[in-house]
Amino acid sequence: METLLSLSNDLAGAVERAARAVVAVHARPRLASTGVHWGPGVVVTADHTVRTDDDLRVTRPDGRTVPATLAGRDPATDLAVLRVADLAGPPAERGDPARLRVGHVVLAVGHGPRASWGVVSTLGEAWRTWRGGEIDRLIRLDLTLYPGFSGGPLVDARGDVVGLVTSGLARQLELAVPASTVERVVEALLATGRVARGYLGIGLQPVALPEALRPVVPGAGEQGLIVVNVEPAGPAATAGILLGDVLVALDGRAVGDTDAVQGVVAGRPIGSAVTVSLVRAGAPVQLSVAIGERPARKG
Amino acid sequence: MTAIATPPLAASAGIAADLEAVAGRLRRVTVVVGGRGQGAGAGIVWRPDGLVVTNAHVARGAVGVTLADGRRLRATLVGRDPGRDLAALALPVRDLEAAEVDDGTDLRVGQLVVAVGHPFGLAGALSVGVLHRGPTGREDPDGGWLVADLRLAPGNSGGPLADERGRVLGVNAMIHGGLALAVPSAAVQRFLRRAGLVAP
Repeated sequence: METLLSLSNDLAGAVERAARAVVAVHARPRLASTGVHWGPGVVVTADHTVRTDDDLRVTRPDGRTVPATLAGRDPATDLAVLRVADLAGPPAERGDPARLRVGHVVLAVGHGPRASWGVVSTLGEAWRTWRGGEIDRLIRLDLTLYPGFSGGPLVDARGDVVGLVTSGLARQLELAVPASTVERVVEALLATGRVARGYLGIGLQPVALPEALRPVVPGAGEQGLIVVNVEPAGPAATAGILLGDVLVALDGRAVGDTDAVQGVVAGRPIGSAVTVSLVRAGAPVQLSVAIGERPARKG
Repeated sequence: MTAIATPPLAASAGIAADLEAVAGRLRRVTVVVGGRGQGAGAGIVWRPDGLVVTNAHVARGAVGVTLADGRRLRATLVGRDPGRDLAALALPVRDLEAAEVDDGTDLRVGQLVVAVGHPFGLAGALSVGVLHRGPTGREDPDGGWLVADLRLAPGNSGGPLADERGRVLGVNAMIHGGLALAVPSAAVQRFLRRAGLVAP
């Protein structure tokens, strides 16, 4: 029974080690989520589990519940950072997500602690979430995320935290945000309270692009986006985009829905230019728009 | 075409062999309770003199039991606790191989656990998972469950949840949201004592 015992001990040991930095996050009614003690006085969790800004609390591994404040949130990567004055113990020991391989046994640890085991199912290159957040590495898992597990650590067999698990980035997929991305976003959120995201300052509605118009505009697909709102003095207004224009492509690539536009724009550096191909009164127009910074959410 | 020699995968071959050994050990002490095929549940040989433990929802009265060696016997119901979902059966045999039972005081979250049962009518199928949380119900000594991140199906009811060595930690009773719930062996012992089936 040597090797099975040894695997069992490794897994139990990994849970114990990681659990020292796992907290329960009380930021929504009923179901607590999980968070990771990431740095001194700092807890990171899944943004979609933070439904309120006030009366946030965190339960430490020793069972004590202490107050927390929201330092910042980034829905694009589904991460939120809390400041917690009263966190005991050391922060999570981190591992390198680049060393993960498909088939590696991994654990998700939820507050409690609770454990779920499985393997790395898919690994891929950097990818963009549907809200334009950049995730350094695609990590898909074959394991169950039980209720309340989102925001908790993805742990390797040594007990090192290699990422954060969340159900909020994609439906029906168990995904992890690699530790490198978490670190980058945590730094930005601690510094400024948000991750600066590019935006155009227009409201768009999908419309079917008549076949006659498609060859007219390079890169056009079957659907375009009609401009139904232009924010005064916003990036689109400044570039000369008008109400009624139909957007068909960004930098030569067809866009047919608002997610596609968000995906391109939100990840771009502020101030960089994007070429917008549009149809105005039946004729093609190309404009260069300087991407602006999305203003902070109010309320 | 040249064959490329690869070094033996020592750890995984070892794990496979260990799992096979644990599965074999548990199968020898697991019985089929009730009808054959889909309607059957499982049971655990608790003592060599034919005392078998299963769930109350698997055994409601006298019932047919199939041993690991294939013998089919008639079992009498000698104890039943629907509240704890336990039942005890007596088989007219002696000298059966009985389960090694562990009282589960040293369990660790994340450790491996295994289950053997008859999910979907497959006799003696093995499932492997990890202990999901610390045992519940410490406040109520008669309550509590062992909870495992482990896939079970209806035919697993009444069968063993065991550790990596094949020591029985509990009786699988329920599936809940992807988790397996088992009645801890300490609760089984209490039930057997109350039923007068084991010495206090």
